[in-house]
Amino acid sequence: MGREGVLNWVVALALLAVPLAAHALDEPFIVTLATKVAILALAGVGLNIALGLGGMVSLGHAAFFGIGGYAMAVLAAPVQAYEPLMTWPVELPGTKSMPVIWLAATLAGGLAALAIGALSLRTSGVYFIMITLAFGQMLYYFAISWPAYGGEDGISIYVRNGFPGLNTLDPIQFCALAYGVLMAALLFSRMLARSCFGLALSGARQNPARSAALGIRPYSVKLTAFVISGAITGLAGALFADLNRFVSPAMLSWQTSGEIMVFVILGGVARLFGPVAGAALFILLEHLLGGVSDYWKLFLGLALLGIVLFARGGLIGTLAGREVAHD
Amino acid sequence: MTEPVLDVRNLQLSFGALKATDGVSLTLRPGEIHALIGPNGAGKSTLIGLIAGTLTPDAGQVFLSGRDVTGTDVVARARAGLARSFQVSAVAGELTVLQNVVLAVQGARGQSFRFFRPALGQADLCEAAEAHIARVGLSDRRAVQAGDLAHGERRRLELAMALALCPRAFVLDEPMAGMGPDGAREMTALLDDLRHEAPILLVEHDMDAVFALADRVSVLVSGRVIASGTVAEIRADAEVQRAYLGEEMLE
Repeated sequence: MGREGVLNWVVALALLAVPLAAHALDEPFIVTLATKVAILALAGVGLNIALGLGGMVSLGHAAFFGIGGYAMAVLAAPVQAYEPLMTWPVELPGTKSMPVIWLAATLAGGLAALAIGALSLRTSGVYFIMITLAFGQMLYYFAISWPAYGGEDGISIYVRNGFPGLNTLDPIQFCALAYGVLMAALLFSRMLARSCFGLALSGARQNPARSAALGIRPYSVKLTAFVISGAITGLAGALFADLNRFVSPAMLSWQTSGEIMVFVILGGVARLFGPVAGAALFILLEHLLGGVSDYWKLFLGLALLGIVLFARGGLIGTLAGREVAHD
Repeated sequence: MTEPVLDVRNLQLSFGALKATDGVSLTLRPGEIHALIGPNGAGKSTLIGLIAGTLTPDAGQVFLSGRDVTGTDVVARARAGLARSFQVSAVAGELTVLQNVVLAVQGARGQSFRFFRPALGQADLCEAAEAHIARVGLSDRRAVQAGDLAHGERRRLELAMALALCPRAFVLDEPMAGMGPDGAREMTALLDDLRHEAPILLVEHDMDAVFALADRVSVLVSGRVIASGTVAEIRADAEVQRAYLGEEMLE
């Protein structure tokens, strides 16, 4: 195991140990903070597949994050209002079951990514950034002007959705659930990166003309990766909505896209645990610096500038050194 | 006469008023090396683009093994068995030599949408790739990142990737470019070996290599083939001498 492998274990265990210790010391706020890190890291793991493995700089991932959040609200809101989800063509009830909601959020995120990616991937470079941003903003304004789910005010889901066998209202149990999903996504991401598909994606990122000359269509490979990426970020959105028991258009705003991207860049683009390290650092800075000064984002901005200029591999890259090729 | 593997018929392409390719016809027969030479700006790269499918001709056709591939794109032509190398080495620099060639093998086999097993954990893919790497003499460099290879090694890696496609025809764009005399000699030997896999359309500036390897030579000037024939015929052709070869080649 190389240095990066050891570092990954350290990060993974720390994210497990901190909430457990906080639980033992009866500090539920810290547990919730760790849950937030796990969920935001999950969103970053999604983006990292597009950005890190595929080189697709998407400034529209808030769209998938928000769609996941609204998928939760759409399914859960009818239950608390004692109404069916829909009455036509068949009567369908809403649900408070997390597994069902997760499935819906993942599918919705993936489908949105298919539509947005199919159009956006016809461009590249700065045009790709702008067009993904535009699609994200489109959905943001749609959510604002959609009165059924609270419009600009968003919508509250008063009771957290349930998971079979767990009491999700207990912070440590919900934290464990989020942690489990994050680890599963990381394992999936690792598997993807090493698979034939991962190799094809890497080739399509580094040299699309060469990939095409090998009979591999870069567009198809990148679009598939973009869909997987959107699906994972959508799943994170559903969990985030459940964490806050609240969904609002803010989840869809471009600031959210930017923050997800900051997690990835802070932690290390294309590094497996980059988004986890990045999200943890971001939340930590927000919590610590936020207590010192309202202008903490100024310092975050300076830190980001430093990373982009001097530490291209982010936190993981700086600590683990140059990425060694998998053998 | 055997049917040509690659048959280019009357290709035309203009960029505005410039006729980059002006009625080019040529064939590539099984087992041969057909060299395409011409001064800078003659339209060699454009012609390669038209054959490989990165450019679409205004008129004319490209046949691969008797099948009209004119309307198909690069990916389809690669799958139909056309392996090209690039003038500027095009490899994935962050991947190792082995990964680059495995990528080519899975491309040829249409296995790029496999999500579960590690690419380098699949013995059949790796064994095929290793064989191609050994063929070009890079076996001891297979764990090196392609970006860290020396220029000549990268050129050979490109050939290994082309080989991995198990092609019907090679289209090689200046494989000797930027090589020293030793490298060029090794590459010449390698190309002589490759012709047993599939015929080669060789675009090359290195005249020693062209005259050593080519069965036939076509001379491209201003988008037109001005002469085509054996090495001896081309050496003797007065028009070619004027247009291209220059004094020192005539001795």
